[in-house]
Amino acid sequence: MSDLNRELICEGVAFNHIADTRFKLGRISATLVVPLNRRTAAANALLSFVLTRSCRLYPDFTALNRKLSSLYGAALYPSVSTLGDLQVITIAVAGLDDRYTLQGETVSAELAELLYNILFDPKLVDGHFSDEDVEQERRQLIEMIDADFNDKRTYAINRCIENMCRDEPNAIGRFGMREDVSALTHENIMSAWKQLLNDSRVELAMLGSADPTRVREDLRGHFAGKPRKVTLSTIVKNDVAEVRRFTETEEIVQSKLVMGFRCASPAVPADRIANTLMGAILGGTPTSKLFLNVREKQSLCYYCASRVNNTKGIMLIDSGVETKNIEKAEEAIMEQLRLLKNGCITDEELQNAKLAVKNSLISSQDSLGALQLHYITGVLTGQTLSPQEAAALVDGITKDQITELARQIKPDTVFSLIGN
Amino acid sequence: MNYTEISNERLGETYYQVKHPSGLTIVVCPKKDYNSAYALIGTQFGSINSRFICNGKTVTVPDGTAHYLEHKLFESEEGDAFHLYAKTGASANAFTSFNNTCYLFSCTDQFKESLEILFDLIQSPYFTPETVAKEQGIIGQEIKMYADNPDWKVFINLLQALYQNHPMNKDIAGSVESIAEITPEVLYECYNGFYNLHNMVLCVAGKVSLDEVLAVADSKLKNNEPVSTESVFPDEPYAVAKPLIEEKLPVAVPQFALGFKENAPLEYPTLKEYLCTNILLDAFGGTGSALYRRLLDENLINSGFSSSYLSGPGYRTVVFEGESREPRRAAELIQEAVVRLHETGISQEDFDIALRSVYGNFATSFESPASIAYEFVNAHFARHGVFEAADILAAVTLDDINERLSHQLDPQNCALSLITGIE
Repeated sequence: MSDLNRELICEGVAFNHIADTRFKLGRISATLVVPLNRRTAAANALLSFVLTRSCRLYPDFTALNRKLSSLYGAALYPSVSTLGDLQVITIAVAGLDDRYTLQGETVSAELAELLYNILFDPKLVDGHFSDEDVEQERRQLIEMIDADFNDKRTYAINRCIENMCRDEPNAIGRFGMREDVSALTHENIMSAWKQLLNDSRVELAMLGSADPTRVREDLRGHFAGKPRKVTLSTIVKNDVAEVRRFTETEEIVQSKLVMGFRCASPAVPADRIANTLMGAILGGTPTSKLFLNVREKQSLCYYCASRVNNTKGIMLIDSGVETKNIEKAEEAIMEQLRLLKNGCITDEELQNAKLAVKNSLISSQDSLGALQLHYITGVLTGQTLSPQEAAALVDGITKDQITELARQIKPDTVFSLIGN
Repeated sequence: MNYTEISNERLGETYYQVKHPSGLTIVVCPKKDYNSAYALIGTQFGSINSRFICNGKTVTVPDGTAHYLEHKLFESEEGDAFHLYAKTGASANAFTSFNNTCYLFSCTDQFKESLEILFDLIQSPYFTPETVAKEQGIIGQEIKMYADNPDWKVFINLLQALYQNHPMNKDIAGSVESIAEITPEVLYECYNGFYNLHNMVLCVAGKVSLDEVLAVADSKLKNNEPVSTESVFPDEPYAVAKPLIEEKLPVAVPQFALGFKENAPLEYPTLKEYLCTNILLDAFGGTGSALYRRLLDENLINSGFSSSYLSGPGYRTVVFEGESREPRRAAELIQEAVVRLHETGISQEDFDIALRSVYGNFATSFESPASIAYEFVNAHFARHGVFEAADILAAVTLDDINERLSHQLDPQNCALSLITGIE
């Protein structure tokens, strides 16, 4: 149950099937992965929204959405994210499992057809995507980019990464740059479509109770015959000359302090889990060093959390702070990091972090979305363990392994957003 | 122990309901082959319950008391509950809303130990002047953080514009000033009234059995004498307090929330009323609607646009929220569409499509242990069943929806809240 059945259906294209009869939903997704670069990032992002807005068969937004509603409120959505220096575009359909329909309809077959239509048979006018679709989605994408500024926690994290990784692809961000979105032409979007379908790494996923045979063969037919030459890699830097500081001011009540660090990017599954545990002990749980000391004991922050990005080899510590405490908070955070590097990890801290990480891994098996994310992110980073297998590795991790990884952490960038 | 077993064949789901001798209502929904369990215990004490009669005595408490009490109960004499849950690996939390407070955990192992912690928490009030004072700093920080959050502010400001007297017009966490008035005595009074087990419900879903839950309940829960605790609400006129409220915050895209206030008795809407409103809103403002299309075509909304129904004791409001470069124009168009809607009603075709969508959403709410637990707690508070929705949706007609519409979306009784950027 919930195990991955993976088959390479043509060059660079894998079909991942997870048979699971526990759910009320079924889900099919196509994940297209390309290097993140300034030349194509904005076009890929805009394309993913244009594609999911209409298709030749349902040629406008309203027709497509009424079709989805009548399929018991099925969902069709793009998600655009980064994984290290890669841009990951997923187009997913999810809908009521056939066993639960009112009149025995086969929603799964209709959703599969819809996904093919969306990917391969878009509505084209004179050989390009329609002005209406492109302009609508361009405006909305720009608003989405702008809205990252509305939430100051997200904004401060983004600004820290942009400054820290200014010479690396991931600084571009998942949607590309705002000005690039504004400047995209019909040709850019058309070539993004062709390139994404023909020369990306493709990870297809089907989850639920429906029989995958037909869908797998259909998709094999759609993706076959393309010589895929895409190469995917991520820059992992571990040399930092000096810590760089950036400060902005804003009309906000609570200031934000985001500290960016370089850390290990392990390839071996057990080491990745050890790195994750390290992040959990430092600031990933409500009993972590940062939460207990910086927030609870010293009352310096309202929140103070660390997150490790294993693929990119960076760690961010972000906190919400009163302006007068911002320097004290930074010192207190560095003190906790120093303790971690010195191997000051109690048995209790280690045990708590292990339980929390295992809980999160095993829980992911109870959601189709989380399962898809676990497996697809896994195969893209060379990790093919099931959540259960990954959880089984957690217990074997030692304090020394974690301390060793902590010692690889180097401060790189400090970003402060100061309230008035 | 006597329990009720309730099944729904179409959904393939069964749950068990027990009135435990301690007074607690317990609902358990086991999910075969799941790996995690989700437990949620709640009481109908939220930010709006700031005035109540408990065993004949009228009590008025400062704004933000329910949330403050949640923070204080979440820590015991031994310290923060997070430390206790850390030993079982459960992921735990608590939250306070307008009309309830809930404590929860999710776990994959050591369910018994986690449930014991949960029961201990809600049965071990420990408030001294020192511990109460200590929390003021951290909650003050939380209040400040929310003050910077435009999503929250646009919503809270809307409620201020809609409600003249009803405490829905107050922020859930209160203010730095109001929480300074909270004392141990205030907290004990609220605790005794609302955390009496007769006034609480526990819902557990996922990898769990009824027997497991009852065994912990039997060993941990102390028998409570029932107390009568009745919230008192001021009379709320039908009319909104003011039609417009605007605040400036550093935002790149302005935000708006448009609320249509309704007559609201102290009872929750019935399940049928609630489902009819869902169908109505999906047909009128969902992604497949003419309204949604028009707003998109005129560049007035983006995919963040949504509609929702906010309802509870003494409040019922339909809310449309979104981001817009021209939020006033967006609101104007929605109001015009509402006027037309009352003239034409919902069409048969729009109804048919929306009905299927609402049915799909209902069926898939039985997907995750978390959503099941919330579904049951909310149903308990609103005093309606859960599976009954399937029967209601099978029988509901277009006339029901249009009848429902006649009590909702009064274009003369709405308020607009705007968050616009700082120039």
